[in-house]
Amino acid sequence: MKKVVVHPERCVGCMQCMVACATAHSRSGNLFSAICEVPLPKPRVHVGVGLYGEGFPNRCRHCDPAPCMLACLPGAIYRNAEFETVMIDSDKCINCASCAMACPFGVIRYHEDMHAPPKQVVAVKCDNCIDRQAKGLVPACVEACKSSALTFETTSDALKRKTNEVARSVSIETGKIVVAPGFNLLNAAKKAQINLKAM
Amino acid sequence: MKYVIIGNGIAGIQAAESIRQIDSRGGITIIGDETFTPYCRPMISLVLEGAIPTEKLAIRGADFYEKLNIEPVLGKRVTHIDVDARQVIIDDTPKGGKKNHFSYDKLLIATGADARPIKAEGLSLGNIFYMRGQAHVCDMLESLSGGKKALVLGGGLVGFKAAYGLMKRGFEVTMLIKSGYPLSMQIDEAGGKLVLKELVRHGLKVMVGAEVKAFEGNGRVREAYLSDGSVLQCDIVIIGKGVLPSLSFVPRDQVRVDLGIVVDQHLETSSSGIFAAGDVAEYVDIARKTPWVNAIWPEAVNQGRLAGMNMAGRKVAYKGSLSRNVIRIFDVDVMTCGVVEPPDDPGYQVISKIDPHKNFYRKLVFRNDVLVGLVMVNDIDQGGLLVSLIQSETPIKISGETMLKPNFNYKQLLKF
Ligand SMILES: Cc1cc2nc3c(=O)[nH]c(=O)nc-3n(C[C@H](O)[C@H](O)[C@H](O)COP(=O)(O)OP(=O)(O)OC[C@H]3O[C@@H](n4cnc5c(N)ncnc54)[C@H](O)[C@@H]3O)c2cc1C
Repeated sequence: MKKVVVHPERCVGCMQCMVACATAHSRSGNLFSAICEVPLPKPRVHVGVGLYGEGFPNRCRHCDPAPCMLACLPGAIYRNAEFETVMIDSDKCINCASCAMACPFGVIRYHEDMHAPPKQVVAVKCDNCIDRQAKGLVPACVEACKSSALTFETTSDALKRKTNEVARSVSIETGKIVVAPGFNLLNAAKKAQINLKAM
Repeated sequence: MKYVIIGNGIAGIQAAESIRQIDSRGGITIIGDETFTPYCRPMISLVLEGAIPTEKLAIRGADFYEKLNIEPVLGKRVTHIDVDARQVIIDDTPKGGKKNHFSYDKLLIATGADARPIKAEGLSLGNIFYMRGQAHVCDMLESLSGGKKALVLGGGLVGFKAAYGLMKRGFEVTMLIKSGYPLSMQIDEAGGKLVLKELVRHGLKVMVGAEVKAFEGNGRVREAYLSDGSVLQCDIVIIGKGVLPSLSFVPRDQVRVDLGIVVDQHLETSSSGIFAAGDVAEYVDIARKTPWVNAIWPEAVNQGRLAGMNMAGRKVAYKGSLSRNVIRIFDVDVMTCGVVEPPDDPGYQVISKIDPHKNFYRKLVFRNDVLVGLVMVNDIDQGGLLVSLIQSETPIKISGETMLKPNFNYKQLLKF
């Protein structure tokens, strides 16, 4: 079973995964029409900013057992066994935020969504793009990620690669990568957004 | 193995499910007072409010008992446990092959809590309700028509939800509370005042300190006489003065009882083979570090699940309970957890940030370097992150100021 693996050290904070995610969860599936849709499609992966301005694509871990699923009052959260994915049934969701209180990663958001009853705010989170996967496509965030901070692979492959990386790092002298002056890991738009939000 | 579970609330249901995952053959009997398909108790206030129909309360299928091969004994109350004979006795005269006692190897007490009764004259009048179960809410719905004025006693979670529901139904609601703001058991003063402001802005009337001495009416309640001498007109009264663990049938000389039934880390009581879970159980509170009954849904789920595993022979330790709540009121979201009003002790540090214009408030309570409590008003999306830090007692290495910001996120806790 392939899964989305996050490599935080590679994230450059470009937020393309967010755009791709929102587009993949839009009615039209096309960025240019998606931005005109009502409700406006929103991402389910969130590039959070770290203490030093570095990015991190935060997405649902599809935990098992999943704390959100246990805490959900109306029983709207369930597991899709085929894709090992924790899903939210927006027809059942009552927007009580019990899952917000249960999720240790803070990956659930509350807004209108094209899959939910019209004008109703519901809990929304990553669904591993199972519609795309069923068509043989990789999840949209992975497809969009240019720095390989998001990969789609089996856990054993990911572990093997990581082991190899560690092995290499002990045999080669690896120093800190010198970054050119003016080069900033965090995208400017994200910075502006943070400054606006921070009070 | 023969399992008996008393109570078909969420703790009992979760226990039955986890027993079945481990032990597919053992006999499971659930004895429960309520005859509805397993339903979500906290959601009954949404039915009162008119947000959902009663059918949406069910959280398991109508074939729940059948599917898991459970013997349901519904509509019956357990009156006695014979610990020595390992039997549970119900209030029924045995007839036609039906028995009134059930033998067990492992017993779970998951009887939840009952609404705390009040003392006042005229309580038997119509339209005076407690709000604990689906039946209560169905009765309320029938008495709503034509009513205009509602009186809610108590500003705890239930009183508060009742008031909110009736306001949404267009009632003129008066709430009688002891402290100056609602939810005083959950929230601190600053947060409570923000909640109060929002409710008052939408028309709630609040009276602090007064209590009801008597109700009067002609068959149905019409007036309430208060301890301060005033008289209130009311068409409906809801009593929400907290809950008490439902354990009158428990033999206290054989099963240790404090406020709730005392359990150990495996949810087992002082009497071997008897377990307790949910609103009726008492165990150490992670944040308060003292025995506590946290009568909340997520703990009933956790405890029921773990009790079931332990009963079926898989030893799983329960770390402790943690008080927490999240509520949305009109345009304000509130989340609270753990110790929100710390004792006067230098071991505790409190930091907070308030912006009344944005209706933003966040308060964090630390004991040494561990987060033990929080109050959040709005921007609650990341609340689970903070709650999990309280739950895991992780020493906090980053500055508290960072955690007070609305855009605090998971990445900021990571080292690399
Ligand atoms: C209006 C309302 C709103 C709430 N809102 C929230 C909320 O927002 N968040 C939250 O965390 N919690 C909330 N709660 C609390 C939550 O519902 C409880 O914590 C939870 O239901 C406890 O589950 P339980 O299984 O322990 O007990 P219960 O759900 O009380 O189930 C116990 C069952 O046992 C039965 N029983 C009792 N005695 C006997 C007996 N002697 N014999 C046979 N059967 C018996 C009872 O009839 C009941 O069906 C709310 C409660 C109410 C009433």
